[in-house]
Amino acid sequence: MKMGETAVSTNADALTATGIGSCVVITLYDPKSKVGALSHTMLPSHSQGSLHQARDTKYIEVAIEEMLRKMLALGAKQQDIEAKLIGAANMFPEFESDIGKQNVLSAKDKLKKEGIRLVGDCVGGSIGRSVDLDIASGLVTVKMKF
Amino acid sequence: MQNVKLRELNRLAALNASRALFKLCGRPVDVRTLSVEVQKLQALAPPIAPEEIAAGIYLPVTGHVTGAVLLIFPKETAFTVCDLLLRRQPGTTRQLSELDKSALKEMGNIVSGNYLAVLSNALHVKIIEHVPNFSLDMFGAILSQIISTFARDAEEALVVEVEFIFKPMKLNGYLLLLFKSEEIDALVKQGTQKGR
Repeated sequence: MKMGETAVSTNADALTATGIGSCVVITLYDPKSKVGALSHTMLPSHSQGSLHQARDTKYIEVAIEEMLRKMLALGAKQQDIEAKLIGAANMFPEFESDIGKQNVLSAKDKLKKEGIRLVGDCVGGSIGRSVDLDIASGLVTVKMKF
Repeated sequence: MQNVKLRELNRLAALNASRALFKLCGRPVDVRTLSVEVQKLQALAPPIAPEEIAAGIYLPVTGHVTGAVLLIFPKETAFTVCDLLLRRQPGTTRQLSELDKSALKEMGNIVSGNYLAVLSNALHVKIIEHVPNFSLDMFGAILSQIISTFARDAEEALVVEVEFIFKPMKLNGYLLLLFKSEEIDALVKQGTQKGR
């Protein structure tokens, strides 16, 4: 998934996002129905920016709503869905940037509002990541190169 | 008209940057503008694979235009560039020391400074480049942070892609200048009207 993209699947081998910096990748997975979703989000909330395509999934809130809507349509149950967060690095540690932190706070806030359990995260630091969500098992694999 | 004016400005900036890099590393350097166009930020087509390790030098830009300059080299190219900048035998650098990172940051300073000076003079505006910042990591991760910073306030940017040729070696490096397209449009229009 490129920046701003979201995908939901029941039968792909894996959903993947590569080269994640300050962005947050959100994975949602229902282990009972084996429906999974991955979103490569960029920014916290569209209300904070000056431009808004209202349903742009580059915004975390919109992305989570879209993933849930599509997962439920494929048979997932909201109470069974588990979330994981990956990314939110600051790739230039000499430069103060809070985008990553804001992204994580926004994601956690929205997940809590939706009643979705956050079961793991791999966020922060200053190293880029790539991530795979295996649809058959729900396993999230994070790759870093250093 | 505006595209022509911007392309001409970029040609001048590239020439200036070539001369400055020649002084820095003591050998001819060709700086070629590959493209100057307004692009949707999320659709920026990276010239390097997202997981390829690259050296990125990022300079925030403020003043009458808001933007960013990002100078990128694939890792192996960055090693060779350091050899050239620091006048070592090609093939010497295999890891980036603090001196190497400083040399790359200085190159970023020089190239972006020349570009921004040409824009600033032609458009009669104040453009301030800030201290360069360095990262060696996945190219996609480096670019995504710059794009996200921009994407808070803009959906499109003026993107300039530049290629460096350290004669006789052709080394692929890329300079991305991101400016909010409305700001540049307004300035170019203003500049065009003043010139009449």
